[in-house]
Amino acid sequence: MSDSDIPVHQDPADALAAVVAMRRLADQLEDAAVEQAMRAGWSWPQVAEALGVTRQAVHKKHAKRLIVAGVKLRRRAP
Amino acid sequence: MKPFDAYLHTILTEGGMEAQRHGSSTVEAQHLLLAVAAQEGTAPQRILASFGLDYPAVRAALEAETQHSLSMVGVSPSSFGLPRPNTVTPSHQPRMGETGKLAIERGFASASRKRDLRPAHVLLGILRAEVGTVPRALALAGVDRAELLARVQSSITDDGIA
Repeated sequence: MSDSDIPVHQDPADALAAVVAMRRLADQLEDAAVEQAMRAGWSWPQVAEALGVTRQAVHKKHAKRLIVAGVKLRRRAP
Repeated sequence: MKPFDAYLHTILTEGGMEAQRHGSSTVEAQHLLLAVAAQEGTAPQRILASFGLDYPAVRAALEAETQHSLSMVGVSPSSFGLPRPNTVTPSHQPRMGETGKLAIERGFASASRKRDLRPAHVLLGILRAEVGTVPRALALAGVDRAELLARVQSSITDDGIA
């Protein structure tokens, strides 16, 4: 993607609001994608590597929620 | 607990639940606004409703703001087709976000003395934001924020507090 492909808005309020809405969407997407991966039997290290974050980070952020959701969590990779 | 303290506690607690429901790790001004709109029988809720902003309308306005802002960069949230994540997180209260903090600070700052604080001051603090998600959502819903602010302010004055 070249620089010219990045949309530039006349109104900075629209561009700033788009940043906020995309962050919100990215958070929701992460929640849904991690839940989907764990339900499909992915391990924490695999999910962490796919997201480019540490195992600790992904575990801390999602473990409690997934346990409540009744997702069977794998302890280690095969 | 004084009535104002009880009201604030309810708004902060329910604002936290709104944040969780929306998959947000922080409580932002829009979550507080939803909580205010949900408190049936309170003065701020009645003022919002008189501007067409009952709870479902506030939700719809916020949703429209998100869709509109995403469309500015060509993103459609439905295009991913992932199931809705489970967002239940018991024993974990989301922390207050920056816009949530600002709303509460502005609400407190709009009363000259702490004992003059009324539920309407919370709404006043939320509405004082000139930029961000809440004013954009109100504008998209066709609500005149200045007029709404004036109504909230006059309800406080009518209550015998300048």
